[in-house]
Amino acid sequence: MFENPPQIYLIGGEPVEFTFRGQRFRIHAVLSSWRESGGWWNRASDGFYRPDDGARILWRVEAAPIGTMATFEIEREEVIDPRNPIWRIRPTSRSASA
Amino acid sequence: MSFTHLHVASGYSFKYGTNLPDQLVARASELGMNALALTDRDTLAGAIRFATSCESNSIAPIIGIDIEYENQSRLLLLATPGNWSSLVRVVTGMKRLASPPTTDFFIANENYTKNLLLLHGPNSEVSRAILSRRYDKALAILNKTRNLFKDQALECVSHLESEGVRSTRHAARTLGFARDNDLKAVLSNAVRMKERSDAPIADILDATRNLLPLHRNVVERKNAEAFLKSSEEMAYLAESIARAAGERSGKLLLRATREWAESAQLSPRIDIGIGLIHLPEPSVVGASSHEELVRQLKQRCYSGISWRYGGKENSHGNKNPDNNHDNKEVIARLEKELQIIKTLGYESYFLTVADVTDRARSSGIRVAARGSGAGSLVCHLLGISGVEPLSLGLLMERFCSPLRAALPDIDIDVESARRLEIYDQVFDFYKERAATVAMFDTYRARHAIRDVGAALSLPPMEIDLVAKSLPHIRARNISKSLENLPELKSLNLTSPLWRMAIGLAERLDGLPRNLAMHPCAVVLSDIGLYDRAPVEMNASGYPMVQWDKDDVEAIGLLKLDILGVRMQSTLAYALTEIDRTTNKKIDIDSIPLDDGPTFELIQSTKTLGLFQIESPGQRELVGKFAPESFNDLIIDISLFRPGPVKSDMITPFLNSRQGWKPRSLIHPNLAPILSDTEGVVVFHEQVIEIISTMTGVSLAEADEKRRALGDRDSQQVICDWFFPAALARGYSLAVVTEIWDVLRAFASFGFCKAHAAAFALPTYQSAWLKTHYPAAFLAGVLTHDPGMYPKRLILDEVRQCGIKIASIDINRSDRSYRVEDGSIRIALSDVSGISDNEIDSIMKARPFLDLADFVHRAEVSKPITESLLMVGAFDSLYEKSLNRRDLLLHLNDLYKWSRSSSKTGSSQLTMAFTPSLVKSGLPDLRSDELVKHEIEHLNMDVSHHMIEFYSNFLNEIGAVRSSDLLKQRSKSQVLVAGVKVALQTPPVRSGKRVMFVTLDDGFGCSDATFFEDAQKSYASTLLNSQLLLVRGEIRRTGPRGVSLRATGAWGLLDAYEKWRNLASCE
Repeated sequence: MFENPPQIYLIGGEPVEFTFRGQRFRIHAVLSSWRESGGWWNRASDGFYRPDDGARILWRVEAAPIGTMATFEIEREEVIDPRNPIWRIRPTSRSASA
Repeated sequence: MSFTHLHVASGYSFKYGTNLPDQLVARASELGMNALALTDRDTLAGAIRFATSCESNSIAPIIGIDIEYENQSRLLLLATPGNWSSLVRVVTGMKRLASPPTTDFFIANENYTKNLLLLHGPNSEVSRAILSRRYDKALAILNKTRNLFKDQALECVSHLESEGVRSTRHAARTLGFARDNDLKAVLSNAVRMKERSDAPIADILDATRNLLPLHRNVVERKNAEAFLKSSEEMAYLAESIARAAGERSGKLLLRATREWAESAQLSPRIDIGIGLIHLPEPSVVGASSHEELVRQLKQRCYSGISWRYGGKENSHGNKNPDNNHDNKEVIARLEKELQIIKTLGYESYFLTVADVTDRARSSGIRVAARGSGAGSLVCHLLGISGVEPLSLGLLMERFCSPLRAALPDIDIDVESARRLEIYDQVFDFYKERAATVAMFDTYRARHAIRDVGAALSLPPMEIDLVAKSLPHIRARNISKSLENLPELKSLNLTSPLWRMAIGLAERLDGLPRNLAMHPCAVVLSDIGLYDRAPVEMNASGYPMVQWDKDDVEAIGLLKLDILGVRMQSTLAYALTEIDRTTNKKIDIDSIPLDDGPTFELIQSTKTLGLFQIESPGQRELVGKFAPESFNDLIIDISLFRPGPVKSDMITPFLNSRQGWKPRSLIHPNLAPILSDTEGVVVFHEQVIEIISTMTGVSLAEADEKRRALGDRDSQQVICDWFFPAALARGYSLAVVTEIWDVLRAFASFGFCKAHAAAFALPTYQSAWLKTHYPAAFLAGVLTHDPGMYPKRLILDEVRQCGIKIASIDINRSDRSYRVEDGSIRIALSDVSGISDNEIDSIMKARPFLDLADFVHRAEVSKPITESLLMVGAFDSLYEKSLNRRDLLLHLNDLYKWSRSSSKTGSSQLTMAFTPSLVKSGLPDLRSDELVKHEIEHLNMDVSHHMIEFYSNFLNEIGAVRSSDLLKQRSKSQVLVAGVKVALQTPPVRSGKRVMFVTLDDGFGCSDATFFEDAQKSYASTLLNSQLLLVRGEIRRTGPRGVSLRATGAWGLLDAYEKWRNLASCE
C-alpha cells in the first residue's frame, strides 16, 4: 500500500502534500496521529533506544489528488413558486475553473 | 509556565520504573521545573531519597502512591501538606491486607483518606468505563469515593497511542466527561522513564516482571512517550487534548493541573521530617521529663564507675599499671562526655541502647559493642561496651561529636544463636516504637545478565556460564570484567545479540529489584514512628519500615545494628560447658587482660578457632608480630586489612618492632601519640590527635578534618588550612610537609581503634578460653562453627591439643558437642540428614538397651539408623566380638521383621519375638573403611586422620610433618602433604594474585604461598584436589612463623598411585 520511496512535502514537520502512484495529493484534514515503536529486540543493536530501532509516527489523513478538490458556489434563487426553483453552479477555486 | 508531573514511577516501583529518584529530580531541575511528584507502585520505598534529592535541587516534592485497587485497576493517592502521616498510615494499613484494597478499606480508613488527594488515571476503573462509553458506570464509580477523599480528579494522559487508554482521543473523551459532569481533570504523562532512550530498559523490566521473553504482548508500552517531558511538550499535549475535546486551548487543563500540584507540595523538613531527630521519649526508660532523663543518665554512669573501676583492683583485676586510673581522671572524662551528650540532647539515645543491652544480659545473652561506640566511657559505664577506653587511648569524639548533628552509630554483637530472642524482647517492649529496617536488593552483574539474557531468549546454558563466571561486581562494569575471563573465550560474546545483552545489563546497574529485611538493623523511635514511616510485615514476621538504613538516618531514627556473632555463641557455650562439667562460673568479661599463657598461645600461632586471628594470613602475621599485650592485639587486627597491606604499613611496623630498624619519628611532639604503633599511623584516633596537636584545634574539630581527608575535593581545603595552622604553631615547613603526606596517605584507610579494640576483646577471650579450657572452648567451636575452617580441621585441632575425641554414641551423644571426662563427644546433629525431630525422639527415648530396642522405640528413619550404626553409635551396646557388619545384617532383619509384623496387623508384638543377633563371621571394618564411612555419614574423619593412610608413602619420599617445619633450615626445599583446609586469594600490595593454601596433615597446619609464576602450572591442581602434596622453599617469617614459598603441587592420590605402580614394577 505504501509507496517507496514516497515523496512527502512538509510544513513545520507536518505532511501537507504527497505523491502516491504518480499522482500528487493534498492533505485536507488530519484525522488522527500517533506514535508506535516496538520489536527493537528483533534488531540486533547495542541496547540503546534509537528511532531506527522501529519507532514511527503515523498520520491518518483525508487527502485528494491535487485539482480534484474544488470549491463551488451553489445558488438557489428565491422565487414565488417553490415548485420551480432556479439553481446555478459556478466554480470559485482556480483548479475548478481551469 | 513550568509544568509539574503528578504521576511519576521511579525504580522503586520494583521492575517497572527505569530511573532512580535522584535522576528524575535532576532531570526535572534541568527542565526548570519547580516541583515534581513521586508516585511509585504500591510502595513509599523511594520517598526519602526522593525528598532529600528534591531538597538539594530546590524542587518541591509531591509524594503519593500508585496503588492496585479492585478488579486489577490502579489509583493514585497524593499526600497533602500537614498530612504526610495520613499517607503513611494508609500505606501501612494497605500492607496488612492480603489482597488489594477495596472501597471498604478507604471507608475504614476515612480518617486518613480524607486528607489525601485521589487521581483516577488511565488504568483506573473510571477510565475503563469511559473507554467503553459507559459514562453512567464511570459516574457511579466516582460517586463511591467522592466523599472519602479531600478531593478527586480525572487524569488525562496521552502517550500518543493510536487507541486505548493512553491515546489522545481517550484523554480528550476523559476531559469532556469531566467537563460535562463538573469534575476536575488534570494532565499527567504517567511517567516511568527519564528519557525516551530508557525505553528498552522498561521493556526488559516488563519481561522480567512477567517472567517471559520479550514480545509485543509482554511489554506495556506501544511507544516511548512515557518519559519526563518538558513543560513545552506537555503544553503541546494539553493543547491537542483540549482541542480534541472541543476546547479552544489547553490553558484550563494546565491551570487545573498547576493548582492540584500546588495543593500537594510537601516540605521535606516539616512534613517528612528530614534532618530532625526522633528518639524514644523519656517515659520509655522510666523518666518523667527530659531533666530527669539527664539525671538518670548521670546517676547510672556514676554508679557504673564503682562497677567498672571500683574495688581494690580495677574490675579487670588488671595489674597493668597503664590501666590503673584514679577516679579523678575517670570523672573528668565522664563529665566531658556527659556535657557533649547534653549539648546534643542524646540522653535518651544512650539510655535506650543501654536498655536493650540490659535486657539481653538479664536473659543471659552475651552482648558486646562493636564500632566507634567502644570509644565512649559512657558506653563502657552503661554496660554497652566492655572495652575500657581510657587506658587504650580511645576517643569519644570519633564516635559522637557536638559538631555533627547525625546520630552516632552503635552496633552490638550478640550470640548468633539467640539473636532473635533479643528482637522479640525489643518488639515486646517498644511495640509501635520499634521496627526492623529494609534493604534494597539492587541489580548487580549476575542478576542483570540473567534477567536480560532471559528477556532476549539467549541460550540458558550460555547465560548461566556468563553469570557464574562474573565476579560480584556492579552491573555497569560487566564488559570490563568480561575481558579478563578467559573461560568465556568459547562463547562469542561479540555477537550482536550478546553485545546488546551486555549493553542492556550494564544499564540496569543499581536499579532496586526488591525490598528485603536488613539482616541486623532495628530502629527505635518515639510513639510517632508509625506516623512517619510506612511499616510492613516482613517474611520473618517482624514489622519493617520500607526504608533502608540511610533513609532512616535521614529522618533521625535511632538505628541499632544487632549482629549475630557465632563467636559470642561459642564463648557462651564454652562457659556453660565449664559450669556443667566443673561447676566453675567464670565471668569472662572480667578476666585479666594480661594473662601470660594466653599470649604464649597466640604467639605460638596455634590460633585455630580463635576470633579474627585464625586465617592463614593472620597466623603468619601473628607469628611475625608476637603480640604481648591487649594493645598489641588491637594493632594486629588493625594491620590485617586490605588498606594497610596494600600500602605496606606492616613492614616498617614489624622492622621497628623486632628492633631491626630504628623507628622513624617525624617530630618529638608526636611521640606519645605514635609510641604504641612504632611510629606508624594505624588508627583514626592517632590522626585526630596529630591534627589536634599540630594545629591546636579541639579533638572534635580534628575529627571533622579527618573525615574530610577521605574525600579528594575537600582534601585540598584541609591542606590549605593545615599548613598555615601548623606553621603558625612553630613547626617547620619540612615537618609539616612530611606529616601532611602521612595524614593524606593514611587517613583514608586508617582504622578506628575503638572498633579494633571491640574486636580484640572476643579475640582475647577466645584465646583465654582455648588456653585454660581447651575442651570446653573447642566443643563450643564445633557446635557453633564460628570460623572459616571445616569441622574436620577443628577436630584435628582437638587432637593436636591432646584432647580425646569420643565417637558418636546413641546413649551419650547430645544434640551438640559435649565435654565428657576431658574428651569431646561427637554430636548427633553431625549425622548427615538427621532431622531435629529425630534427635528429639532419640534423646527422649533413651537409654536404649540394644539395636532392636532402638528400632522399636526411637522414631528414626532407616537410612539414618544405618548411618548411626556405620559410624559406631551402637558399638558401646555390644561386646567387642560383634562387629558393625554383624549389626548391619541384624538391622536389616529387624526391619524385615517389623514390616511383616505390621502387615499382619500385630504391631503389639513384644520384643520376645524379635530376630536374634548372631555373629556372622564377617571381618570387621578396616580402619580405612571406618574413615570412609565417617566421611560419608559425618562429613569428617574421626577415628583416623585421612593422611595416615599415606604415611608409608610420605615417609618414603621424605615429606615433612607440619609440626617439624620449624626445625627446617630457612630456604631448604621440602615436601608437605595434607588435606586442603583453606585456599585464599587475599589482596596484596602488588595487585597480583597470590594463592595461600593451608594443609592439615594431622600434626597441625602448614601454609604455602603460590606466587604468579608457580600458579601457571599448578593453579588447577590447587583448585581441584582435596588432598595435596606441595613442594616449596622454607621461609622464616618471625620467631614462630614459618611458611612455604611453593614451587609445585600435585594431587596426593595421583602421586600415591604413581609411587605404588613404580614400587610394584620394581
